[in-house]
Amino acid sequence: MAGSNVQVRLAHSPVLRYCLAVASIGTALGLALVSHRFNFHNVEVPLFLFAVAISAWYAGSGPAAVAVALAILLFDYFFTEPRYTFYVTAGDLPYFAVFAGFALLVAWFSAVRRRVERELRQASNRLEAEVAERTRQAGLLDQLNQELKRRSGELEAANKELESFAYSVSHDLRAPLRHMAGYSELLQKRASSSLDEKSNRYISMILDSAKRMGNLIDDLLTFSRIGRAETQKTLISLTQIVKEALSEVRQETEGRNILWKISALPDFYADRSMLRLVLVNLLSNAIKFTRMRPQAQIEIGCTDGNGENLIVYVRDNGVGFDMKYANKLFGVFQRLHQSEAFEGTGIGLATVQRIIHRHGGRVWAEGAVDEGAAFYFSVPNPQGQPWTQTTN
Amino acid sequence: MDTNNKLGRILMVEDDPKDVELTLTALEEYNLANEVVVTRDGEEALNYLYHRGEFKTRPDGDPAVILLDLKLPKVDGLEVLKQLKSDGKLRMIPVVVLTSSKEEKDMVASYKLGVNAYVVKPVDFHEFVNAIKELGVFWAIINEPPPGSLRK
Repeated sequence: MAGSNVQVRLAHSPVLRYCLAVASIGTALGLALVSHRFNFHNVEVPLFLFAVAISAWYAGSGPAAVAVALAILLFDYFFTEPRYTFYVTAGDLPYFAVFAGFALLVAWFSAVRRRVERELRQASNRLEAEVAERTRQAGLLDQLNQELKRRSGELEAANKELESFAYSVSHDLRAPLRHMAGYSELLQKRASSSLDEKSNRYISMILDSAKRMGNLIDDLLTFSRIGRAETQKTLISLTQIVKEALSEVRQETEGRNILWKISALPDFYADRSMLRLVLVNLLSNAIKFTRMRPQAQIEIGCTDGNGENLIVYVRDNGVGFDMKYANKLFGVFQRLHQSEAFEGTGIGLATVQRIIHRHGGRVWAEGAVDEGAAFYFSVPNPQGQPWTQTTN
Repeated sequence: MDTNNKLGRILMVEDDPKDVELTLTALEEYNLANEVVVTRDGEEALNYLYHRGEFKTRPDGDPAVILLDLKLPKVDGLEVLKQLKSDGKLRMIPVVVLTSSKEEKDMVASYKLGVNAYVVKPVDFHEFVNAIKELGVFWAIINEPPPGSLRK
């Protein structure tokens, strides 16, 4: 057989392929006749088989069949007794049958070989196409990666800018504020005795405003820092966090009569300092808005939610709010009460919302005017397990 | 306690004249203002400490404490701190950063450089006066400064 590396190509036109079969048989006949002339005998069979093989190889199975038929006819006519007739003696029939069988076998082998080769070539073509597609996709991916890198660079730059903005707010706004407060106070000290009541009131208003602006700046900075800081989640005990938050707001409860109801609270994964800030804000609000109650009641509890979330709530019996403003509660600088009634910057609940969102949870509130309020936040409970209770 | 006998000198590095005046007012209430040297930027502070430039002829002796603002013209506070704490002799002088910045990175950077205390200037005047007073009393009176410090 031909070397396996030889690329065999079928002639495209069928006419050419049949011509090739006829020509190769013709050549074989010619060579056989010439050999006979020089008294070389018994070369005709291998020559014809060779021609059949070539036809099968280069021209396909149809031309190969024609070649086999031609070879048998020509062999009968030129090389079997009686020569130059198509007459076949009964004794020669097995010989012809074997010849035909052998020729068909050669043709069949060649055809199989061709088919295998063709399939291999197709497979290799498919592979090539796939490699090309993969390369294209890799290029695309690379392009996307570049784009992503660029975007993340831009984001980083924007973040840096924000950071330096927050820094300058922290540093540069605080200084003039301190001067306003400081010098007003010095003025008050030196001149209060010689000033009339109205002037003294003006000075204390300046002082109040400076102090309020100081608180605003601090709260805004906390709010912006939460947007920038990375959350570091560890397993925290909510009971412990509530305890810490309570001691932080202790000062605000002085002289107050507050009944605390704290149920068993779960442990879960969250950023410890951020969650403490959430509770400090919620508790401080509850303390503030129950101020006019002779007996304030603040309840902290937890429900299991739908199994995927833990829901923590802080409920009070304070002034409450109108549910139609519920969507305004968590906005920055949104306040539902006049500042004379309840002090505050209007950033606390926005901070709470930002922290909880960063934990993949949500916040909401229920309440009614003069009937208290309840603030809820949910945090995902990835294990989906019932939470572990810690006794209070 | 007769504090006047052992007052330490305070070197204040502060570019804002209003802050300088406020601080001096606060220190005055406790008779601590007389021994305050005010420098207005990092370079001037270093000149003072190294007896250079306009401080070439100043009397010997290091301050008992340096009150250092961070945001300063020319050489900023962290740079001053870095130079002081890498100087074999000057590194012993206690340095208190007194700044408006509550930013954690400033705090971390200062402590990494070996600052002795970090105080955020309170906006509220009473708290400010208290903070300055306590700083003055602690560092200029209670604390034993390193040998070589100037005492009255």
